[in-house]
Amino acid sequence: MKSLDEILQNNITGMYYGNRVLLPFHFTALKIVIEKDIITDFSIREKGAYVNEHPDFTEIYFIDYPVLEANISKYENIKMIIVEKGKDIFDFSTHRKIAIRPEGNHILSIKEIDENTIFIE
Amino acid sequence: MINKNLAFLIILVINVVFIPIDSYASDESLIDTSALTLSSISNQQVEEHPMPDIFMVIPFITLLLMIATGPLFYHKFWEKHYPKIAILLGLITVGYYLIVLHDTHTPLHTLDEYISFIALLGSLFVASGGILIKIDRKSTPMLNSVLFLFGAVIANIIGTTGASMLLIRPFLKLNKDRIKPYHIIFFIFIVSNIGGALTPIGDPPLFLGFLKGVEFFWVIGHVWYIWLPTVITIISIFYFIDSRNMPDAASEIKYSNKIEFKGIRSVFFLAIIIVSVFIDPAVIDWVPSFDPLPIGIREIIMLSIIFIAYKSAPPEILAANEFDFEPIKEVAYLFVGIFATMMPALQIIANESNIYGQSLTPGIFYWATGSLSAFLDNAPTYLNFLSAAMGKFNFDINIPDQVLQFELAHPIYLSAVSVAAVFFGAMTYIGNGPNFMVKSISERAGIRMPSFFGFLFKYAVPVLLPIFTLVWLVFYFGKV
Repeated sequence: MKSLDEILQNNITGMYYGNRVLLPFHFTALKIVIEKDIITDFSIREKGAYVNEHPDFTEIYFIDYPVLEANISKYENIKMIIVEKGKDIFDFSTHRKIAIRPEGNHILSIKEIDENTIFIE
Repeated sequence: MINKNLAFLIILVINVVFIPIDSYASDESLIDTSALTLSSISNQQVEEHPMPDIFMVIPFITLLLMIATGPLFYHKFWEKHYPKIAILLGLITVGYYLIVLHDTHTPLHTLDEYISFIALLGSLFVASGGILIKIDRKSTPMLNSVLFLFGAVIANIIGTTGASMLLIRPFLKLNKDRIKPYHIIFFIFIVSNIGGALTPIGDPPLFLGFLKGVEFFWVIGHVWYIWLPTVITIISIFYFIDSRNMPDAASEIKYSNKIEFKGIRSVFFLAIIIVSVFIDPAVIDWVPSFDPLPIGIREIIMLSIIFIAYKSAPPEILAANEFDFEPIKEVAYLFVGIFATMMPALQIIANESNIYGQSLTPGIFYWATGSLSAFLDNAPTYLNFLSAAMGKFNFDINIPDQVLQFELAHPIYLSAVSVAAVFFGAMTYIGNGPNFMVKSISERAGIRMPSFFGFLFKYAVPVLLPIFTLVWLVFYFGKV
């Protein structure tokens, strides 16, 4: 299993198909902002985003956005607060802010959100 | 979906621009003399048209109710279909004017106002998207209060929209570690609305007054002593609330206390937009008018700036601001519906205020202008009530000399209408254009904003209404 730091350092990308996003590491999602939808409830499969954790990757289904490419514009990102598997979820210092965006050809870029981007936990 | 909505929008514009040309000739013969009114939204051209039926306010009320309830109760449906709903309701009203009333002037004039509105808002939105301001300081109630005061002052130089678009992102970044919805709501109260009550650039109603003949510096001379205590009171309430929201533990974050500014080219575009506001045939003689086309040189400049500013902005700044056209698209769609559907409401109000104008006091003008400006566009509301106030003293709003005489002889009426039109825009998300955009930008930054009713009843009514009542008691109550 890759760590988030490894992924960021090596520019490893994820994948997307329609509304399904696959990220190559195991994490727990705490908050996702897509467009102006703020999703914190991951308990219902019919609403917002459904997260499916696997040992080596994590997949997210964005229920209300059937074609992600069509919804995320040139300078926009899907922003997430996540905690890597194995880290203490209750320790706020382990919460990481990442931005993902569909780049075309099913490639999903993964970046850490820098201080310039406004994303409130 | 967007293409379908655009097609709807184009149909709406074509309806307004082209259908009237055929039907105009028959206007006079079809006037129902039993229900005549002087019905120009802006009173720029006084033409006789039948009054709209009272039931024609239903599309407007429907749209308002859907804006209020959609995001709460049928979020998914609303998010997907709001452009179609806004345009459809607008088309119903425009169709009624063209086919039933044979009134071409009102929809055309409304389209003219809408294009001016969206050109200004859109150009300021895009130009400010190319500016990156970083304030690396600790967020404190005092610093936030100073920023609000600064925003209130510059709102009179670059407009409430310009000030909101310029300052909202740095304000969010400054407060990122402890931000709550009330921060944004007080920003909307002060920077997006009340701050801009001092000059004709501040808020559209005052600019319309200026176009009609109100002297440029009249507002600041007669409103500053109302503006200052109001702004200070609201900032003081904010300071009190914000002081209680400070984290107990000392923060370990180190701040450089630097303020970084990038995007000087976009500042130049902002300056052009502000200057172009005055490029109007009513202000400068040599500026050509393209009447009856609902567009002028000013709008052409502003729409060009949208394109040029976007294309020339550094990509790294656009990326840092996560620039996206969606917030302005949302405003454009919702307000095309609001502008179109509110025509009957505004005409009925204009008619009623002309009838009852004689018995209205400055206090009543204040409350009537204010309560309607909270839900309708405050610019035509201002003009309708100013017209009624002038009519009370046998002055005509369409004669600049009489506007000048009126401002000298009865300043309290002009003050009441001006203050109420600007201040009450802060009461709801739809009270003023920037309110919605500030909300949208904040939501994209991950801040869950209150609903339409939450904003109104949890914040605007408890905070603003007592202050506005005090303003009325001190400055307008019992005055004739």
